Amino acid sequence: MTKSPVWLSERVQWIGALDSTMRSFDIILKTPNGTTYNAYAVRGSEGVAVIDTVKAECAEQFFEHLEAIARYDEIKVIVLNHLEPDHTGALPELMRRAPQAKLYISQSAQIMIKALLNQQDVDYISVGTGDTISLGDRTLKFLHTPYLHWPDTQCTYLEEECILFSGDVFGCHFCDERLFNDRVGDFRFAFEYYYAHIMRPFREHVINALELIAPLPINIIAPTHGPILRDKPTSYIQRYRELSGQRLQSEVNADEKTLLIFYISAYGSTSQMAQMIRNGAEQVPGVRASLYDMEGGDSDLFVDLVEDADGILIGSPTINGDAVKPAWDLVSSFAKINVKGKLAGAFGSFGWSGEAVRMLEDRMRGLKMRLPLEGVRIKLIPSSDELDQCRRYGQEAGEHLMGVNAPRVLDMADLLASRKQLSN
Amino acid sequence: MAKAKVTFSDVNVTVNVSVGTRIIEISEAVGSYIAYNCREGDCGVCLFEVIKGKENMSAISKEEKAVLLARYQEIMDGWRATTDIDALQAKMQRENFIGKNCRLACQTQVFGDVVVAPL
Repeated sequence: MTKSPVWLSERVQWIGALDSTMRSFDIILKTPNGTTYNAYAVRGSEGVAVIDTVKAECAEQFFEHLEAIARYDEIKVIVLNHLEPDHTGALPELMRRAPQAKLYISQSAQIMIKALLNQQDVDYISVGTGDTISLGDRTLKFLHTPYLHWPDTQCTYLEEECILFSGDVFGCHFCDERLFNDRVGDFRFAFEYYYAHIMRPFREHVINALELIAPLPINIIAPTHGPILRDKPTSYIQRYRELSGQRLQSEVNADEKTLLIFYISAYGSTSQMAQMIRNGAEQVPGVRASLYDMEGGDSDLFVDLVEDADGILIGSPTINGDAVKPAWDLVSSFAKINVKGKLAGAFGSFGWSGEAVRMLEDRMRGLKMRLPLEGVRIKLIPSSDELDQCRRYGQEAGEHLMGVNAPRVLDMADLLASRKQLSN
Repeated sequence: MAKAKVTFSDVNVTVNVSVGTRIIEISEAVGSYIAYNCREGDCGVCLFEVIKGKENMSAISKEEKAVLLARYQEIMDGWRATTDIDALQAKMQRENFIGKNCRLACQTQVFGDVVVAPL
């Protein structure tokens, strides 16, 4: 464990903390190597800026490093690129020790900072793209890069040295006291894994941020977790560009919308429904519908398709009062990507209770997908009338996708009551 | 209880609701394209456009105004290139963005007929 600060340049030091024993981060991430909480200090001719802090449990390391390179009364500026507790744990104590330091946060962090510190009258300055702070002969410039991976996230750029303090962007959970990417062990898997689990759900925001970063000359990328990227830093930007782009060129035309119909069937009834729904959707000009039997694939494969799709329908029979596991596995995998605002629906045949459809609908509504239609539930074998109902459901879903659905007038009370009744 | 008509022009749906209902509760139930996230006025995702009936909506709070301002910076094309935040904010005020055409769905209650759409 390093006990001294590490120099990035004559004026910039790493003052973070190493956490080599941590194996499970934020519940959802595994790490075989622990992680680091990277914080930095920048010394200008007119004062010192501290950029981010560390997790509360690691505060001792952070203050030890900070004290080795600056006095508290020299600290003029505290920049928070991201307010999550693993970077703000040492903040209250830092504010106590350096009360004169001004706090700089993004515009979108203003409500969060009050909740974080549990005080209403926090003294801070909110900044956005283009705002700068002068430290005399050193200048910090802010980039508004929201949703990477919280609403409040931003990057800070040290102009004179072309160092980008990127927050969690370009970070990874990998603890190696050698710190720099050209010195540490092979951490490539950790970089990719971190992108896939932390940044991927915010793909559009990643693309926006890369556009903002692209024009800047970059010598070093200094993220809040994992190795400091000083060797070929732009190759990591390039890798983000590839990861946030499409995997394979899509064969769908720009004026078409895609509807993916996933189903699984015990006796063929839900499968028959899926086929009819597809036929109905295909009647709507511009809809490109595809059918997938969940029995023949798994959610790791399907989630890539869902990421690029406009609409998703899931068909599941009801077994023991629930949708079946492959359907839930698929819906669980949606947490890895962004499904907000995609059209969604559910359907299925059942023997005697039939809860699966409403349960899937509620879950997808909970994931902020759009569910404009009530899904079709059919008892046992679909009759020809019921198959026609499936065809109409597919057609209406297609019309919603293309924005050509007929006007409707509904009553709020009915809307809520029908949902409640059917899920009971 | 008094009723209001809320029309979502993107999905072509009109809903009769009790006055005081929040836009987000209705938009979620009908599957409108108005996106949402935190539901408590923090993230600004549920921004929507008021097409008709802004006078039939609850007043805009100081907190909602601050979030709207932050969101406009992201949305307005110039935000990525601009270096002058004051000028951008002045421009937004001038163009009457705040509290006039746009609101947050999780904060806005309806008290009469309105027509709304995603931004």
